[in-house]
Amino acid sequence: MRAREKYPLLNSFLEGWSIFRQNLLGRIGLVLLIMFALMAICSYIPPWINPMYNPMTGVDPLITSCTPPSWAHWLGTDFMGRDILSQLLAGARVAFMVGISAAVMSIVLGVAIGMTAGYMGRFVDTLLMRLADMIMVMPTLLVVLILSAVFGQLNIWTIVLIIALFRWPGVSRIIRGQTLSLKQRPFIEAAKVAGASHFRIIFQHIMPNVLPLAFLFMTFRVTSAIITEAALAFLGFGDPGTVSWGMMLQWVWKTGHMFKAPYWLLPPGICISLITLSFYMLGRAMDEVLDPRLRKEDQTD
Amino acid sequence: MELRKFIFRRLVQIVIIFFVILTVLFLLFRLAPGDPVSRMVDPDMTPEDAHRLVVQLGLDKPLGVQYLIYLKNFVTGHFGFSFHYGEPVVHIIWNRLPNTILLFTTSIILSALVGVFLGKIASWHKGKKTDSVMTIGALVTHTLFLPWLALIMIWVFAYKFSWFPINGMISEEVWLDPDSGLIAKSLDVMYHMVLPLSTLFLIHFGAYLLIMRSSMLETLKEDYILTARAKGLEERTIRDRHAAPNAALPVVTSVGLSLAFSINGGALTETVFTWPGIGRELVFSVSQNDYPLAQASFLLIAAVVLVSNLVVDVLYAYLDPRIRY
Amino acid sequence: MALLEVENISIGYNTRKGYLKAVEGVSFELEEGQSLGLVGESGCGKTTIGMALMGLLPPNGSVRDGRILFEGNDTLKMSMDEIRRIRWRKMAMIFQAAMNALNPVQRVGNQIAEAILVHNPDLEKEAALSQVEELFDLVGIPRERLTDFPHQYSGGMKQRAVIAMALACHPKVIIADEPTTALDVIVQDQILEEVRDLQKEFNIGIIFISHDISIVADMCHDIGVMYAGQLVEFGPWQAVFESPAHPYTKALLSSFPTLTGKKSDLVPIPGETPNLIRPPAGCRFCERCPEAKASCEKTPPEWVDMGSGHKALCSGD
Repeated sequence: MRAREKYPLLNSFLEGWSIFRQNLLGRIGLVLLIMFALMAICSYIPPWINPMYNPMTGVDPLITSCTPPSWAHWLGTDFMGRDILSQLLAGARVAFMVGISAAVMSIVLGVAIGMTAGYMGRFVDTLLMRLADMIMVMPTLLVVLILSAVFGQLNIWTIVLIIALFRWPGVSRIIRGQTLSLKQRPFIEAAKVAGASHFRIIFQHIMPNVLPLAFLFMTFRVTSAIITEAALAFLGFGDPGTVSWGMMLQWVWKTGHMFKAPYWLLPPGICISLITLSFYMLGRAMDEVLDPRLRKEDQTD
Repeated sequence: MELRKFIFRRLVQIVIIFFVILTVLFLLFRLAPGDPVSRMVDPDMTPEDAHRLVVQLGLDKPLGVQYLIYLKNFVTGHFGFSFHYGEPVVHIIWNRLPNTILLFTTSIILSALVGVFLGKIASWHKGKKTDSVMTIGALVTHTLFLPWLALIMIWVFAYKFSWFPINGMISEEVWLDPDSGLIAKSLDVMYHMVLPLSTLFLIHFGAYLLIMRSSMLETLKEDYILTARAKGLEERTIRDRHAAPNAALPVVTSVGLSLAFSINGGALTETVFTWPGIGRELVFSVSQNDYPLAQASFLLIAAVVLVSNLVVDVLYAYLDPRIRY
Repeated sequence: MALLEVENISIGYNTRKGYLKAVEGVSFELEEGQSLGLVGESGCGKTTIGMALMGLLPPNGSVRDGRILFEGNDTLKMSMDEIRRIRWRKMAMIFQAAMNALNPVQRVGNQIAEAILVHNPDLEKEAALSQVEELFDLVGIPRERLTDFPHQYSGGMKQRAVIAMALACHPKVIIADEPTTALDVIVQDQILEEVRDLQKEFNIGIIFISHDISIVADMCHDIGVMYAGQLVEFGPWQAVFESPAHPYTKALLSSFPTLTGKKSDLVPIPGETPNLIRPPAGCRFCERCPEAKASCEKTPPEWVDMGSGHKALCSGD
């Protein structure tokens, strides 16, 4: 029975891919994303070529202040003489790390809570969903702010965890809905009759059917994690040891160079905006895959 | 009647949530690693004053009693003294609240109205150039990084062209002059509000445009639109009087769902433009380790978010007769 | 000259998969005060014809051939303005699934008054609303429900409201597309009886579209049976009902249960409807036809006249 349930998955995956490919927004988004991924990978190259290109600690012996683009430094240097391009590439790496980790963590949490709520029903369900509602109302950025007031400077992983703690309600709602409808299906009944424990039913029968949906749904909703981290870093509450695009903007702002160095001000902001745009486009294309009503080919237009 | 019951129910929910937040904040500040006393009492105070404050806040008593004192202080408006300003916190945040509300509500209302209007037009010209331009415009502006956009706005319009002030909400010359009347002062505030408002507007209107557009396209497929057409109504009447009111409802919902996002944006905007609101105060107080002020600012912002949610819900209930009747 | 004359119309839709020939060469006439029933299964084109008569085909649909003569004028050649003037005032429609035919955020009374006001711009709103009150009396809705919203109405009441709306401008023709499908049998019966009475009282021509031939037989002077976009049988209701000529009509009549009459077996019609993007060259029913001959597949059937207005499109018989 498990195998038969796995096959339609592969089938729908391939079908989904062809629909995805045809969507213009999806294609553009994918191209942009690949570009950023390449940036992230290339971030290892400059410091390897020459330690002066290290985004955090690299210092050009000849330069100790903010300079415009030159042959040695394609995007110029920041106020300490560090290479801006290296920082930009490192920022891409951080963005992916933050985005993906936050997404994975929130999926894990959201799936666990959503399945429990859907399966247990009644009191547990109501309690969890009320909790979800409360969390959804809170502005994540400001919560992290107040937490850093209490706990001091936060480390990047802590930030990612807190962001994930505020993202799971969205996932859990979807998963809960799926679980509720799966609960009624005959194969669950059969498992119960066969004497399977609740735990086993949830993990062996419900989870495999629910997980792909969770991944698909959340994969391209990583953007708010990236933006939140960027905003935090911008305000000066990010991890001081991590070079992110938000951190770059903080430096250009706080050191008073924002009017004088467009080569420093513009690239990080453009990157954050573009990566947000690309994930948004991918998310829309994914919507079309998931929701058949949105597909263009079925419309008689 | 239904509406009143609805409002009451939502009000109760909000009070409960606020209460939970209050409690969580209490636990955070008292139980987190480090000395809670230093978090509540200004290190620069004299030992006698400090001791008096400790007694007032009940920091020397067991946790349960502390909690009750905390609640009592909250209800009576005693939020402690700001380390940085040296004034009672409640005065400061009370002072900041109107500024935030002014900026926040104006930006939401403006972006929602314009977004809905343009979204309606975009849906009507679906597939044509007008639609593409609007959709792409909405997409691009919506994904811009807000603090960055704010910096660019300042750079271009305040620095390069000097059309607008670089920061702040008021010009001292206008406000300190005993002869300037209400109008002059209001105009001055509005003058300072242009850039922050534009920034918030640009970031937010796109979302509403896109939602209204797709909502209109969905609504236009409904049977009652066919009925309206069959009745012999002109297309424009159908669009404006039958489709738009129905299509606007999901937009209201989405305003509610994105309130947290909007408040984040509000705080960032206030910080970059040095607009003296509570958002900025929160950011500032955290960076200065001014704990009492930070705590109170956060609570006030939470209250603003919750009340806004209520307002949006009530608005929706008012607009959709299926809920009211 | 008849009130409405449909001459040999063919209607198609542009779809991604090709051009769908939804209606092919259909002709019929409707006199004032008469009623015509169009019967057939889903997808046979009856709703498409209804839409075409009102000029309400979707953007990808078009009338390829033929004429629609209303009061002597070809509606297909009219401008949008002229069509709007006819709509509702001369020709009104009751849509399938009236559940959604009313705007959920407008009061029912106002929506119906709107129909009146569009065609009588000099009328005051109060005057229009009092006309609506009279309409409500006609169809049996309590007057105080005028200010309610559609979701507050029951299914039957909504249907009555939609009928009241159709009558608002005293049209000459009403096209009723499956008006009672979503209702339970008892309400269905009531509504049909009311419609019949209203028709007699106001001398309205009705085109009754349905998949249920039993309802149509009860209501209409003439019956037209449609299959796969074509009219396959036409005639006075008694002739068609009691002596059906086309095999499809015969199958239709025997495929539903009756409470009275002699006991007979339910005979379902095997097979599927043909592909209308690439329709067969010969008779469209031939694959499922129990009386099919070898020639039916290749040669399109011709009309056979059985007298007194009864005809069938069949090579057999």
